[in-house]
Amino acid sequence: MTPLDIVVCVKNVPFTQDVDLVVDASGRDVRKDNLVYVVNEWDNYAVEEAVRLKEENGGTVTAVTVGGEDDEEVLRRCLAMGADEAVRIEPGNLRPDGFVTAALLAAAIAPLQHDLVLSGVQSDDLNQGVVGGLLAERLGLPHASVVDSLTVGDTGADLRIELEGGQEEVCRVPLPALLSIQTGINEPRYVSIMGIRKAAKKEIRVIEAGSLGLAPAELEPALIVEGLYLPPEAEGAAMLQGDPAALAEQIVRIMREKGVCNA
Amino acid sequence: MPIERIHFWGVGAVPLFYVLAALSIVAFAVGVYLRVSVWLSARGSHKLRIGPAGVAKLLADGLFGRRIFQGDFTAGVMHLLIMWGFAGLFVGTVLSTVDHWIVHYLTGQTYRVFSLCMEVFGLMLAAGLLLALVRRYVVRVRRLDNQPRDLWILVLLAAAVVTGFFVEATRLAVEVPRLAGEAPAWESSSFGGLGLSHLLSSAGEAEAIYPYLWWLHAVICLGLVGYFPFSKLFHAIAAPVNIVVAGPAARPAQAAGGLPESDETGTEEDEVAAAPRFAFADMLAFSACTRCGRCEQVCPSASAGEPFSPRDFIVQADSYVRAAGASRAYAGARAKLLRRGSAAADLALGAAPAAAPRPSPEQIWYCTTCRACLEVCPVYVGAYQPIGRVRVAEIEDGSRVAPLLVTALETLYRFGNPWEPSKRKRGEWPAGLDVPDLTAGAEAGLCYWVGCTTSFDTRAQKLARAFVRILQYAGVPFGTLGQKETCCGDIARRVGEFGLFEEGVEKTSGLLEKYGVTDLVTSSPHCFNLIKNEYPPANGPLASSALASGAPAQSGAPAQGGAPAAGDGDGESRSPLRVRHYTQVLEQLAAEGKLSATPDGRSMPQSSPRVVTFHDPCYLGRYNGIYEAPRAVIRSLEGARLVEMPRSRADSLCCGGGGGRLWQELEGEKKLGEVRVREAAATGADTVVTACPYCLIMLEDAVKTADLEGTLRVMDLNELVAESLGLVPEEE
Repeated sequence: MTPLDIVVCVKNVPFTQDVDLVVDASGRDVRKDNLVYVVNEWDNYAVEEAVRLKEENGGTVTAVTVGGEDDEEVLRRCLAMGADEAVRIEPGNLRPDGFVTAALLAAAIAPLQHDLVLSGVQSDDLNQGVVGGLLAERLGLPHASVVDSLTVGDTGADLRIELEGGQEEVCRVPLPALLSIQTGINEPRYVSIMGIRKAAKKEIRVIEAGSLGLAPAELEPALIVEGLYLPPEAEGAAMLQGDPAALAEQIVRIMREKGVCNA
Repeated sequence: MPIERIHFWGVGAVPLFYVLAALSIVAFAVGVYLRVSVWLSARGSHKLRIGPAGVAKLLADGLFGRRIFQGDFTAGVMHLLIMWGFAGLFVGTVLSTVDHWIVHYLTGQTYRVFSLCMEVFGLMLAAGLLLALVRRYVVRVRRLDNQPRDLWILVLLAAAVVTGFFVEATRLAVEVPRLAGEAPAWESSSFGGLGLSHLLSSAGEAEAIYPYLWWLHAVICLGLVGYFPFSKLFHAIAAPVNIVVAGPAARPAQAAGGLPESDETGTEEDEVAAAPRFAFADMLAFSACTRCGRCEQVCPSASAGEPFSPRDFIVQADSYVRAAGASRAYAGARAKLLRRGSAAADLALGAAPAAAPRPSPEQIWYCTTCRACLEVCPVYVGAYQPIGRVRVAEIEDGSRVAPLLVTALETLYRFGNPWEPSKRKRGEWPAGLDVPDLTAGAEAGLCYWVGCTTSFDTRAQKLARAFVRILQYAGVPFGTLGQKETCCGDIARRVGEFGLFEEGVEKTSGLLEKYGVTDLVTSSPHCFNLIKNEYPPANGPLASSALASGAPAQSGAPAQGGAPAAGDGDGESRSPLRVRHYTQVLEQLAAEGKLSATPDGRSMPQSSPRVVTFHDPCYLGRYNGIYEAPRAVIRSLEGARLVEMPRSRADSLCCGGGGGRLWQELEGEKKLGEVRVREAAATGADTVVTACPYCLIMLEDAVKTADLEGTLRVMDLNELVAESLGLVPEEE
């Protein structure tokens, strides 16, 4: 098997599960100062997949992120998982949306050796799912998204792509290619504190956004948020009561009525 | 003609005997060297800490095999017979050599006494071997997994004894008639051989076969000497060493796994190593194990039919470290020969010894770290300690960690608890109760360390609410650290996440120091044990150095295993921080009469007395020797009668919740907790009381799955006390 040089795009995102989000003073964003940041879930699977491919075939894994110094935490995590190099693109005063992020990533990745570029399907904070496709376009690579199985052979990569209704599409792409990875493609390894401490000694390369030679127009967000609000409380919730057997019957009846199940 | 010890009587080529003897001694020395070099290959300290307690244990457990008798008297008798028979004959051979080479003293009366002793030792060995063979192959004692090597060593020893007696018999068949009348009845001290000598028809026949028998006996015995360090007989050397060294007094700070001593800094510098790094003490323990299988019988996991075996783990780990040692030795020898230009190096050494597989990573998560294996082991081998070492390696590697545990550890890292992704919710359990917050300026002598599980689990929260009501009732000023409390590090410690453990220690120590806590009481025996026994001394260096050097400190830990615990485990630690489990506080309150139901003359609504049985939590009992405190509290209550389960106190059966098992999806035939609640129900008790949030959750769960709901109630000791005091019962 020939060695693969793999680039993985990762993002540090706020952890929002079980958190009561509050819209900030600008009305266009949520307050993030008291949120805990974690690796974007999809990216975690992408990094694991990249590291496994490297362990099987040899080669290198380079993790790339767009973000400030605090976001280096996510890169150290990648290094602890087995990435060889880490690159942080410092956005400075830019406010990167998916389009700007893709432009920055493309400019930084283009000069790197890459047989395969992996990203997550989407990010947990913005949920747009556009960076993978835009980045592939800019790098001139074939692109597949929602990849939940990946095997690399000499003639290219064999993929399975998750479709609606539990269907799968099986396809093959030539390499180099860009693949957006779906959660569940693997079981990401545990990253120990010792591992992260060791990784903290490795160097992280920082590239200033301004040094990438992009035109000012490319660094303007294409998507402008006008306002943000919490969904109003709606009707429709029903509290069921009774013993477990009766409850189960009630639930099954409701599910039938709503067409959730036919049994 | 005086009677005397005769040497090399008519056996021919005596020099050949010395050549063979030299060979067997060389084999013995090489074998011992190999085994010891494996011990010494352990990273970290190789210091043997020998104290008076260790020597006392050596006398009781080594010379008299005390713990072998426990629970299996026949085994104790068998071992004593074989050990003393073997040792006696060995000493006899040495004395005989002295007689031959140095001073000829085995004559007359001395010789008669000597002969008598040899006769007795020989018969002891023979009887012991017979007993062993019967136990293994006739009675078939279940815990013994008979392997060819077990039979082989018994047959070899038996052959040595039988040929020995026949050599004696043939000699007597010639000697007795020859010396008849010269020394009256001298031969009666060799009664065994004398009896056998009557089987021989004539002195001439005896004289003819004597040399053959003698050489056969000599070759078998010399073979045994050479084979000794390569066989399980090596335990005769390793076990005494382990008995002296093992024990919490000698091995602090690494009680249930973790890194070998003085190794923390090493791991940071070194390459990521997925191979387990066993400590010196582990290596000794591996060599001491004789696969007797007692651990297997008491292990909550193995005895419930789960695919885990503490014995097999030890055996596997032993062959792993020995294969690693052998391949190191092989590589060394090969390199030496190659340097000298010998092309036949590989030929001479044969193929490299096959590396034994390392202990299987799937198995190690079954261990509850309950310490029952150590409790029953005759030679003080506990599987949970080296298992902790394998866990450290597995966590470092990361790729085989159960998804549930990954989530729990990541939650622990970010939110300071393994249960919920929220720091804020930690403070919600006392809703409606007036609990002073020490971090908000409240002052109190006593700080109640609630713990993660008790704070977040809805069932366990009730134990905290009951404890708070009791403290208020008894008028004890106390406070908590509110939502600032964090994980003490126990969970990380047990699953081998050493970095996270260190963080827990640092954060907790920092908190306790910041709020001037000097008197701490915990809900959980797990927090209690960790903070009391495994934290570095107050104001001492944190993390690496203190933890690593394992300052002999802190350990109010009980004498290990069968040795009686000192007091009730409430030994004063040297740190200014006093750490108690809540059972100790309740015991004190009960003794002071503050838990009496009618301080103000109110009449208590008293239902019919409960029949209560107490389930000893492992980290309260076996780890800290606290057996009496909870029982004293129960006895002090008017409405409760205490009955004991067959397995109680040091023999308590683990609920299955320890050692990080709550975050594993393990497969087994039956739940560990179910075994326990059935045992509790069988006592006729209507309530099983425990004193640990894990036990509470596990047993409550098991009562439901074992269909004992309505028959057996699971309560925390706090709940029982609160109920008997008529304090507002918890709404269901």
